[in-house]
Amino acid sequence: MTFLNISQDIPPVPVPAGEITARIAEVFGEGSVGRIADRKAGRDDRGWFTDLWLSVEKERFLEMIDLLAEFDFPHFHVISGNDDGEAVTLHYHLSLFRLAGRGERVGVTVSVPVYKTDLVMPSLFSRIPGVEYSEREIREMLGIDFDGLPNKALIFLPEDWDETIKPWRRDETGPGADDVRHLS
Amino acid sequence: MEKKYKIPIGPVHVGLKEPITAWLDLEGEKIVGATVRPGAIHRGIEYMARDRNPIQVIYLSERICGICSFSHIMAFVRAVEDAATIPVPPRAQYIRTLVLELERLHSHMLWAGVACYTIGFDSAFHLGMVLREKVMDVLEALSGNRVNYGVGTVGGVRWDITPAVAKSVKDMLRYYRREFSPFYDVVTGDPIALARMRNVGVLTYEEAVRHTAVGPTARASGVRCDLRKTSPYEAYGDFSVEAIVPQDFYGKAYGDVFDRFLVRVHEVYQSLEIIDHVMEGLPEGEILWEKNLNKVLAYTKKAEGTGIASIEAPRGDDTHVVHLAAGDENVTWWKVRAPTYANAVSWPLMFRNNELADAPLIINSIDPCISCMERMLITDASGEKSVVTRTELLDKCREKTRRLMGK
Amino acid sequence: MKLEKYLEILPKSLWVTTCNSGSCNGCDIEIVATISPRYDIERLGMKLVGTPRHADVLVVTGPVTKYMTERLRRIYEQVPDPKVVIAVGNCGASGDVFYKSYNLDGPIDRIIPVDVYVHGCPPRPEAIIEGVAKAVLKLERLRKDLVKASVEGA
Repeated sequence: MTFLNISQDIPPVPVPAGEITARIAEVFGEGSVGRIADRKAGRDDRGWFTDLWLSVEKERFLEMIDLLAEFDFPHFHVISGNDDGEAVTLHYHLSLFRLAGRGERVGVTVSVPVYKTDLVMPSLFSRIPGVEYSEREIREMLGIDFDGLPNKALIFLPEDWDETIKPWRRDETGPGADDVRHLS
Repeated sequence: MEKKYKIPIGPVHVGLKEPITAWLDLEGEKIVGATVRPGAIHRGIEYMARDRNPIQVIYLSERICGICSFSHIMAFVRAVEDAATIPVPPRAQYIRTLVLELERLHSHMLWAGVACYTIGFDSAFHLGMVLREKVMDVLEALSGNRVNYGVGTVGGVRWDITPAVAKSVKDMLRYYRREFSPFYDVVTGDPIALARMRNVGVLTYEEAVRHTAVGPTARASGVRCDLRKTSPYEAYGDFSVEAIVPQDFYGKAYGDVFDRFLVRVHEVYQSLEIIDHVMEGLPEGEILWEKNLNKVLAYTKKAEGTGIASIEAPRGDDTHVVHLAAGDENVTWWKVRAPTYANAVSWPLMFRNNELADAPLIINSIDPCISCMERMLITDASGEKSVVTRTELLDKCREKTRRLMGK
Repeated sequence: MKLEKYLEILPKSLWVTTCNSGSCNGCDIEIVATISPRYDIERLGMKLVGTPRHADVLVVTGPVTKYMTERLRRIYEQVPDPKVVIAVGNCGASGDVFYKSYNLDGPIDRIIPVDVYVHGCPPRPEAIIEGVAKAVLKLERLRKDLVKASVEGA
């Protein structure tokens, strides 16, 4: 099964960011909608487009992606992440309506906490194949496994890298003082 | 039976996250599969930034990539401004837009030149490089540097447009309007160049969308994406920019290397127009939100939040995410998504059913900063190894051009 | 034929090969600019070659990532003697902005011996040409030493 129909002949139908947040709040609760940033540009400081910050628990993550896909094929930018102590929080940065008209793109960030007791995330690979590099990067840098990602080889670290060291982690699995070189 | 080969290309490929080793599966000359392994130039920049304050990180982000250095600064600075809510004066927005477009000019010309070099069209390569020097002169007049300009900073820009700079910009516009079309005609009018680039490295519309291709690579496949249009930032809010797709000019998007060439060429003309708009509309006023760096740092130290910025760099959209924590003067975490990071995912698709001789051209076509293939190692089925140098590969690529010329 | 005979035949204009060991690409485009018509390093008889086996001079840029360390050594060993190494850019000489990382082995002179340093981030094409000119002097000296050693050895 392929995720959404994509064709040059289907023009995107943009909706205002308010409609998206209303739908998200309806399904996932008011708490799932975070900051709504209005982006201004130009000499008159006119508001042009919106960036949304959403959050969801891991179990309902795919459901939220599917809900966003009701509006438009979500264009995937990147996954960012940080070790927040008990959990590693991942932020999926997406865009809706990037093929629509002037100022109609809606930037969406979906934040998901992944608790260190179970560092496995469902992979988006079957929906958006473009996530491959990002998921492999997060896997080697933050030690999160992606369920459903076919290629789990190292991507940016050298071949002989000690895989027990996760460079971006801030706990004992992160790089120690000996692993970091100061150069100048 | 045809012998099957597995060939690694690389690893010396330039730029952050763009150095790539590509393993190609070959049947004779035909590429049947490809796997890509980046990582040679992973310097751990995002990790290094944890120990630096936002002003220091500006100069680190400038050195992510030497060609789109200003795009990276812009994306980073905008993310910091988003996280800490810092306004940017209108004149600074216009200067930023000007430098972004100048950078697009020199990047696209470099790419066009290198693409010609790859197919053995050396005269066009030198022509492209001569053209490029003019925009380098303007950047030097503005900032004093040719490559890493150090123009952007948090809350504005560091250099103003003086009358002398304005004059050099005007000269440049006149020069390109006169001199660029001969270069374009020489390449697009050449039947050999057409034969070498048409239907090579094809990426369809649907694949481009699903594999999150960005920038000219996506646009050449007919995807109408351009952040300058769909999410105007800086001075792009004051004039409209249309995404350049081949179907608007030639009726159909093939999604091949030739279309990527055409898209970039038309974007050069588009950039010239944007620069015209910027110079005409340049507002008077301050170029910095706060001149005193210590005050800026004190302000960002108090700020708490995550900021995101996506801008249209020459190669596609460049996304930076920055988190600032109150009480911490350093950047807590930072994520960079350079455009090639997104485009490289589509490489294996572009390689399908092409010839080995086209491999350098395909790698080049998404503009991975510059093609710098160092060595290739051919391992045949019997385990015997032989080394194919970059020169030999380039010769192979050029030999194909000569073959086509003979026909 | 004796070694000194070879060395008498061999003197020629410099052939240069480049290796990017993790730089930001800025130095590399300036190296490309030196072969473009404005700076035109070829008028001085120098040219870029695609393989280290044909080169007299190895130009290295970047702070040397772990992935590249072994490969840089291999490239260095493939360049025939007498050879000169030029480190182009600040990060290759000292690390510059790249410090405190888990993935860097540099600077370059920790991996292979460096003869000429060209500073700048990135250096201008004129500076790179000057660096190559210094490499010529060094190469002449190395060649004379080799001839001398071979004559004395015989």
